Amino acid sequence: MAAAPKTNDPADQQIPRRQFLSWLSGIGLFGSAIAGVFSTFVFLKPRATYGQPNRFSIGRPDDFPSGARMAIDAKRVCIVREGNKVAAISTTCTHLGCIVAPTETGFQCPCHGSQFDVDGNVTGGPAPKALSWYQVSLTPSGELEVDKDNEIQTGTYLSV
Amino acid sequence: MSKESNSIGKTLLDLPANVWRSIFRNPLPSSDRGRAATSFTNFFLHIQPVRVSRQALRPSYTMGLGLISFFLFVILTVTGLLLMFYYVPSTGMAYDRMLDLRSSVAFGVILRNMHRWAAHAMVAVVFLHMCRVFFTGSYKPPREFNWLVGVSLFLLTLLSSFTGYLLPWDQLAFWAITVGTSIAGYAPLIGKELRFMLLGDANVGQEALLRFYVLHVVVLPLVLTIAVAIHFWRIRKDGGLAKPEPTPVPALPAGEVATTEAAPALVAAAATAPARKFTIQGLVRGPLIKVGNLEEDTVFSWPTLLIAELFVLLLTVAGVMAVSFFFNAPLEQPVNVMHPPNPAKAPWYFLGLQEQVSYSAFWGGIGVPGIELLLLVLLPYIDRGKEGVGRWFARQRVLANSIFLLFVIVNIVLIIIGTFFRGANWQFVSPF
Repeated sequence: MAAAPKTNDPADQQIPRRQFLSWLSGIGLFGSAIAGVFSTFVFLKPRATYGQPNRFSIGRPDDFPSGARMAIDAKRVCIVREGNKVAAISTTCTHLGCIVAPTETGFQCPCHGSQFDVDGNVTGGPAPKALSWYQVSLTPSGELEVDKDNEIQTGTYLSV
Repeated sequence: MSKESNSIGKTLLDLPANVWRSIFRNPLPSSDRGRAATSFTNFFLHIQPVRVSRQALRPSYTMGLGLISFFLFVILTVTGLLLMFYYVPSTGMAYDRMLDLRSSVAFGVILRNMHRWAAHAMVAVVFLHMCRVFFTGSYKPPREFNWLVGVSLFLLTLLSSFTGYLLPWDQLAFWAITVGTSIAGYAPLIGKELRFMLLGDANVGQEALLRFYVLHVVVLPLVLTIAVAIHFWRIRKDGGLAKPEPTPVPALPAGEVATTEAAPALVAAAATAPARKFTIQGLVRGPLIKVGNLEEDTVFSWPTLLIAELFVLLLTVAGVMAVSFFFNAPLEQPVNVMHPPNPAKAPWYFLGLQEQVSYSAFWGGIGVPGIELLLLVLLPYIDRGKEGVGRWFARQRVLANSIFLLFVIVNIVLIIIGTFFRGANWQFVSPF
């Protein structure tokens, strides 16, 4: 009689313990797999890129006469100056990333025919949204600096 | 002494035959038993069944499309491997190496041509193979999972072709990839991240070239090979190519055998046979059980199937080589990031997508293709009807076939419009 509960007790516990351990190892293995996949993606996403920097100097304000709309294709921006106001508009088409060209009425994309007005708003074609405006600032050395990581509202100019 | 030298001489004389017999266990077969043993004991032949149904061999049934896809993949692997000896995945050197293939590498032009045309052909043939499987209802149980493997093979083929497109680093490559990866950028939430991770940078450049190279020559072929192996293995395990339901045999209720577990049936059979004792050596489930019910309409794989396969292989290689002799793979000007060609077009198999994208970036690039892909994946689980398997355009499947045909035609029309009817600024032009 006294032995019966003793043999019962471990038997009762053994199943939960085994189950607990298999659950634990299951979670451990599954968790490791997920962590492995996740870290692979972390590894694959570059922390530093080797391409062009997104902040760059474009020269002195005097280089851009009033009324100028100068596209810098290498940097994919168009520098606009009206009076003493300067702005940088993206020339990367918001549709599929082609380079838009300045025209008399604004911008025109050669790839899929998107059209934009002088401020970069869509006036025709498949482009889903307006061309971005980037922040322009004056460095202490008196040069204009464009920051493509910093998108600003359409129509925001820098006074020089 | 004489006996000794005699035995040495005999050993030497028998050496070639002994070596040969150690490799090939069976002499060329002259009996059915030998034909079965030949298929069974050879590593490469045992992938195939010993006997194969006549239906699977009829060219008008399969058109050999799956086999052609596989042989194109083999051609691509061999030519691709050879091209790798001369290619450098660097923006500064890649294009020069393309020119070197023309000027200073023996067989460079023909190898590149074969690789390019086989790649295009593989995209087309894999798609046609998928159409064949659909129109013959071959994705039905028990082949649902193999349809899924097939869909993933189709996607892997597209990805392989797409990643290879960038490697020559000419204008065509650069802008096709720019347009193509921008489509990926429209995916909700993860689109931007996905594009950035794929390119390794904000724009297509050296990082993208390196990434596409690694994907193209290692990752995708490896995954593709594994998927092909699973695909082939499942064909065997699912009972060979889909064929029409055989006329029911009264002794074995076919429906019951197909739906219930095989093990109880076997155990029951053993229990009711008092005269002899059986032990289960192994268990073969599903449609492979052939107990006193051998299909009559089969032939031995050796040599019938092998000859058919060899014929398809020769036809495929000859076709690719013929095209490669007469048409050169395109190579445009080296990349000029400033001047996109007008119009900039994706590879032809993505031109349907690009055409859709020109109407709506999200719906054309992600929404509609996503729904189409989801339907493809879920298809064998949605369409559960058991009728019309193993025949082209079975009357019972007229609805499913019509819907699929509509999708196929719409996509082909979109590709034709994108290819021939779109000019500068993606304006509608007439090619005539």
